[in-house]
Amino acid sequence: MKKYDAVVIGAGNGGLVAAIRLLQGGAKTLLVEKHNIPGGFATSFKRGRFEFEASLHELNDFGTKDNAGDVRDLFDALGVTDKIEWLQIPEAYRVISREEKIDATMPFGIKAFIDKMEQYVPGSRKSMQKFFDLAEEVRAAQAYSNSVNGNTDQKVMLSQYGNFVRCGSYSVNEVLDAIKMPKKAKDILNAYWCYLGAHCDDLSFLHYSSMVIRYITRGAAMPKSRSHEISLAMVERIRELGGDVWFNTEAVKIKTGADGGVEGVVLKNGEEIQTRHVIANCSPHIVYGKMMDKVDERIVKETNARKFAGRGFSMFLGLNKSADELGITNHNYFLYDTMDTAKQYDLMKTIESNEVQATVCLNRAYPECSPEGTTMMYFTTLYMSDDWANVKPEDYFKVKDYVANKMIDRFEQDTGCKIRDSIEEISVATPMTYARYCGHPEGGIYGYESQYWDGLMPRLLMMAEDHKTRGLRFAGGFSMRLSGYSSAYFSGDITGRQTVGDIKREG
Amino acid sequence: MAFKFKKQIFGFMDLLRFKKLVPNRRAAFDAASAKPLPKTYKVNETAKILHPGNQKAKLVDVRLETADTKTYTFELSKKMFFRAGQYVEVTANVDGSVVNRPYAISSSPLTALREGKLSVTVKKAGFFSNWLFDNAKVGDEMIIGDPSGQFYYESIKDAETVVAVAGGSGITPFYSMAQALKEGSEEFNLILLYGARTEKDLVFKKELDALVSDKFKVVYVLSDEKSKKYENGFITKELIAKYAPGDFTVMACGPQAMYAFLDKELAAMGVTGKRVKKEANCVGPRDVKAAEYTLTVHIRDNVYKVKADSRETVLVAMERAGLKVPSKCRAGGCGFCHSKLVSGKFSIAGADKRRLADLKFGYIHPCCSYPDSDMEIIVPAGLE
Repeated sequence: MKKYDAVVIGAGNGGLVAAIRLLQGGAKTLLVEKHNIPGGFATSFKRGRFEFEASLHELNDFGTKDNAGDVRDLFDALGVTDKIEWLQIPEAYRVISREEKIDATMPFGIKAFIDKMEQYVPGSRKSMQKFFDLAEEVRAAQAYSNSVNGNTDQKVMLSQYGNFVRCGSYSVNEVLDAIKMPKKAKDILNAYWCYLGAHCDDLSFLHYSSMVIRYITRGAAMPKSRSHEISLAMVERIRELGGDVWFNTEAVKIKTGADGGVEGVVLKNGEEIQTRHVIANCSPHIVYGKMMDKVDERIVKETNARKFAGRGFSMFLGLNKSADELGITNHNYFLYDTMDTAKQYDLMKTIESNEVQATVCLNRAYPECSPEGTTMMYFTTLYMSDDWANVKPEDYFKVKDYVANKMIDRFEQDTGCKIRDSIEEISVATPMTYARYCGHPEGGIYGYESQYWDGLMPRLLMMAEDHKTRGLRFAGGFSMRLSGYSSAYFSGDITGRQTVGDIKREG
Repeated sequence: MAFKFKKQIFGFMDLLRFKKLVPNRRAAFDAASAKPLPKTYKVNETAKILHPGNQKAKLVDVRLETADTKTYTFELSKKMFFRAGQYVEVTANVDGSVVNRPYAISSSPLTALREGKLSVTVKKAGFFSNWLFDNAKVGDEMIIGDPSGQFYYESIKDAETVVAVAGGSGITPFYSMAQALKEGSEEFNLILLYGARTEKDLVFKKELDALVSDKFKVVYVLSDEKSKKYENGFITKELIAKYAPGDFTVMACGPQAMYAFLDKELAAMGVTGKRVKKEANCVGPRDVKAAEYTLTVHIRDNVYKVKADSRETVLVAMERAGLKVPSKCRAGGCGFCHSKLVSGKFSIAGADKRRLADLKFGYIHPCCSYPDSDMEIIVPAGLE
């Protein structure tokens, strides 16, 4: 029987990083992936003369060489930064919301952001400054926590990061109200909420503010050849470090021994790999529900307690006119019905009522991403309930078109840009597509929702307590750092290093 | 810090609240149900109908359509739904080796979904199709792959009317579409211009005639036979204009020679770009001097040395050696055979359809790559 120190199941963002960390820690590592290419959602696909990005709107917290973000530092440590050609996103976002008649375009840079906000919302400056001060402290506290591997000293926390602790149990809106931010400024500032998939009455301020400050101070980045470039760079790195990567290889079972801990992995072809350490880059629902024979009742309860976050829907358009000809001026649009995020969240529960979209025109960051005279766009939304379960197979293609048509109409109405007649290529991904591609329950793309009780902070505080099965750890959007590219990379970093520690302790 | 954040009247209450984050989460876990976790989910089950993956299928009917074409009907083991115009990969055991080819589906989407039956109609044209024609019999078990490809009607970008140009066995996807229009699984107007050499070569003539409606018209065009019942010659711009006024999308399926002729006709009519869709043909052998190379192939932790003929693709070399390797479209487009090139030189048949990062990191599509030297490649595992 083949034997490895560790097996990583799934070559998504978390699994790829975890595999590199394991190898750097000296572990003999096998990465198995059921698909024929790496990356999970981090990939690209071709239609005609376009190569579409499958999921990455912009990589947060990467920064530049001179203003490096945590993701860049991680990529440097992994040895992959220079394998990838990077470009910077020009501006933060444009948010358009119908109910409040907001149409605001926000820049990167704290000063520029606050100045712009003051133009849109006179009198907002003081509260915006407070927001960024708080956010900066949140970031500093997180950096401290990471530097001591989560074993924070309470005295240090209280003396140096008192605001972090004091604001740490509140939602986004609770904190913004406490610092007396004018409503319109709140509305504009909260535009990124759909990137985290929980509304601002529920979403933890720590989580949101730490994301926003990273965007605003470090800008956002994109690999030139789409996220497929990152995924292939990571595979190359794994092979350089002597790791094995097997594609078209699905792990179907995790075998456990008398102590309940990991003893091996069974592949779809029946082959068994001996290992005492598995990093699962997939959902605990799948691992505990399908891949393990004996699961402790406590684990079942904990898994049942979690709530699935947004189910994905994306439309990809290749247009046969340039962005200038089409009048598309921005890289990243958020189109909302309302900035009452709880109300908006409810509207996103059904196929019929959801009209939200986060839309990207890659040419506005990278004009050469598609042939001259063409434009590439992608439109994404989330469904906050399992409504796609109600779609019958025979209606599926029609429902897909119905939503795609709504997205096109909405973009045209809200921006005034006419795109419909210029569509040369179209591709649509639904929750069924995501369910099939990555196997996530209900076609979710955001892991477990960042609900108040299950937000970033409690998950990090309970990382050790959540680790219940010897030799089994999780990476990716369902794990302790929650969803999103940067978070998934960090989860792989944490879990990979933890497993190296586990292996060393075993001797 | 410039200011001290305080939400409650007393700052310590904010601190207490923070301390409760962990007990809160424990309490939520305590309160959760202990019922067994679901084994699957509705959306994931629907996804399996749309993408059932490779499945066993029993051949339940073989029908001779013309002298060199047969329709093979399979009983599926899993439900399937697809877009009319798509293809499936058919895999069979031929004299001990596993061989597969992509074939357009000739039956309707609802037949697959409701009756669990799927047909492909194949003309004798090569190794596998000859084998099927001569050997396949009712009761045989084969493997049917996922419905694949983008050769279907796209309501958002296509015109309301599709002018289908079929050459020879290229009729298959359009026959599926004509049935789909009748059963309501597709909605558009289809004008089918069906080119064949002689009347005897027309496949599905009776069936197509029976499907004619306000949404579906068929015009037969014979190249090698003069007949007053049919149009004669090739499918020219005049012929297209005669039957298809106004705005339309052209969907063409047939041999390369037909595409070359059609492209010129359509360009002269100003029908280009997004208004023209052509189904890709499988990559065949190339016309070069014969040479023999060695391929070193890594599949998982196995290493194989196999012979490759300079005239055939890398995929064919691996298949001839009996290796189980992935393939699907066999036209360079789907990326299913995506493999890492460790060393060696190769040439690509037709346009390079790889992703940008594949070029950068040295990945190839073996189905459309010919060896120009010895090569070493890392290939994902094939069907198992």
